[in-house]
Amino acid sequence: MSALRPYLPVIGLGVLLALAPLFVTSNVALNFLVFTLIIALAAQGWNLLGGFGGQFSFGHAAFFGVGAYVSAIWQMSLGLDAWTGFVAGTLAGAVTGLTIGFLAFRAGLRGSYFALVTLAFAEVFRVLSNSSEATGGAAGLLLPLRIGAQNLQFADRSTFLAFVVALTILVLLLVQWIRGSRFGAQLVALRENEEAARALGVDVFAVKLKAIGLSGAITAAAGVLYLQYFLFIDSNIVFGTWISVEVLLAAIVGGLGTVLGPVVGALALHGLGELVKHLAGDLPGIDLAVYGAVLVVAVAFLPGGLVGLFRRKPAPRQVRKTAPEGGRV
Amino acid sequence: MTKLHDQISRRTVLGGGAALAATLAMPGVLRAQEPKSVKIGILQPVTGNLAQDGELGRTGAEYAIKAVNDAGGIPSLGGATLEMVFGDARSTPEGGTAEVERMQSEGVAGIVGGFASPICLASSQAAARYDLPYVVDVGVSDKIVQRDLSNTFRFGPGFGTCSKTAIENLVKLNEAAGKPARTVVLVHEDGLFGSGLAKLMATELPKYGFEIFETIAHPTPARDMSNVALRIRSLKPDLIIPSSYYGETVLLMRTLYQQRVRPMGYYSVLNGAASNMRFVKEFPEIANLDMDCNHWHDPRKEEAIQLKKAVEDAGGLWAYNIPLNYSCVKLLADAIDRAGSVEPKAINEALAASTFEGHVMPYGPTKFDKGQNTGAAPVSLQVQDETIKVIYPEEFADAKPVFPISG
Repeated sequence: MSALRPYLPVIGLGVLLALAPLFVTSNVALNFLVFTLIIALAAQGWNLLGGFGGQFSFGHAAFFGVGAYVSAIWQMSLGLDAWTGFVAGTLAGAVTGLTIGFLAFRAGLRGSYFALVTLAFAEVFRVLSNSSEATGGAAGLLLPLRIGAQNLQFADRSTFLAFVVALTILVLLLVQWIRGSRFGAQLVALRENEEAARALGVDVFAVKLKAIGLSGAITAAAGVLYLQYFLFIDSNIVFGTWISVEVLLAAIVGGLGTVLGPVVGALALHGLGELVKHLAGDLPGIDLAVYGAVLVVAVAFLPGGLVGLFRRKPAPRQVRKTAPEGGRV
Repeated sequence: MTKLHDQISRRTVLGGGAALAATLAMPGVLRAQEPKSVKIGILQPVTGNLAQDGELGRTGAEYAIKAVNDAGGIPSLGGATLEMVFGDARSTPEGGTAEVERMQSEGVAGIVGGFASPICLASSQAAARYDLPYVVDVGVSDKIVQRDLSNTFRFGPGFGTCSKTAIENLVKLNEAAGKPARTVVLVHEDGLFGSGLAKLMATELPKYGFEIFETIAHPTPARDMSNVALRIRSLKPDLIIPSSYYGETVLLMRTLYQQRVRPMGYYSVLNGAASNMRFVKEFPEIANLDMDCNHWHDPRKEEAIQLKKAVEDAGGLWAYNIPLNYSCVKLLADAIDRAGSVEPKAINEALAASTFEGHVMPYGPTKFDKGQNTGAAPVSLQVQDETIKVIYPEEFADAKPVFPISG
């Protein structure tokens, strides 16, 4: 039982999410949940590298887009099936992560420099995919509507939601396991003090590389889900800065370096957005303004994120210490 | 308890029973009546990058709904009035999809709008899940009507038709003036429409004897066009062809004007500014004699003139989005009327068989082939005397082209 104890919150949230497709029947709510969980999944990828490892990326769109494009090309140009496309997209995200990580970490880039490099990679991918024939150029790629489980397209939104929920729970369990593992401890150690971690014998380069590889894979999986759900991607959608910002926000508002943070953050942010939209009336954009104001207040008064609210103690000291430290963002 | 029981008399029970029976029978009675109003979804991006276009589209739709209702609503449904369910697509495909879901849950009979191609692609696909009729207002990507979706209809012309007509009209314009223009610089936004158009122009124009000096891409939004303007000044082309959205085109034209670049003409295609009265009003000198091949209302139609007047009298600015959305809503209303029902399948069939003439565009009766209105075509326009005139096709042009404007 004690071995299972750390998994209880994940299992609890997992059960709640798993029950959602059974009780939610409105397609509006289903659509909301699917899109929010896709963002939550991408944010969990970011959280693994940024929250646990302290390596803030501003360009997770690179992984999201690579996953979506690889899977789309896999299906449309190579004529292969959607499920292997899902795996291929996820692996491509991991390879992209490893490549960017290898180049950036070998050069010793940290903090804001690492953030800028990731941003640059995402922008380069956006420009390339916008002009390349293989990615459909600026016209993007439109996956043909072929409803069927073998094409990872489902007739009803609740089945797709069930698939996304299953994947989210799987990733949450993986992150919880990593958190308790040696690799997780090493990640946190290098976030807190890289030099000290190195002095203690942690292979900092290898740990960072593993983290960015995994992070890229998870975010790329979210990218593939976006493709399979909306069936249309272009460079500004999947490599756009909006996704990099969305994942950052979800993880930070939910709780940086926590297992449930990204999911809670994404649900809270999108839920708030929808709520304000309903209450705000007809003036266009007023809901976005209110949303922004609430966001500022939330970030100002919840340094430990939403998950921090449920802790008995305030956010751990070391988490707060990381922010002002030199070289970190 | 006993007391309460005593108070309920046999007469009360009978009366209550009759009332209950009447209440239960009510839904049947209601069903038998014609609906008092028919909800239609108007999907436009009114926040985000495309907010200006979205607002124009909404204006067109609102005028159409008012026109239909004032004319007695939907006759076959007992004069049921149209009721707008508005959705903000937030300038993103997922925003559009979310609004389609909401509109469907609110029971709309069909949806009009989308504006940008990515929004139209995603939203019409979301509507296709319910076979919900979707009338695309602007979205020019030809992929929109190449998916065999039985619910998607595009009233306006697609990219292929627009670029073909634009090139034909340009060649005609140049030949009529004695072929003064021979060299061209293409400036385009790097998204779906700008890149595609520039590529097509770069391939097609040399076939008609034009030399393309350079093709210059810029992102949207762009904050500075100085380098682009300087490059154009050094190249000294006869013609400049910009394919960009409103803000970037205005910026480019202003910068070129400041840099004293005076080509023989500006000829844009599906441009956001050259056929927008806001540009003409705010920068009359710069906009003067700019040409654009774009969607436009039919200046021969009285209803179009009245609509333009009504919009301008209300303090609004006239742009193509207004007559297009006005016509699209009327087209959907006509289909609902002919279907005599709000069932999606019946409306889709009515749209597919539509020969609607009551619109304000220069297209003739609608005729849909795989969802595309085959009669739809753009027109060539020129800013003259601080207003926008049609210069081609000659059949209904309300002005003669002024070309070349310098040199």
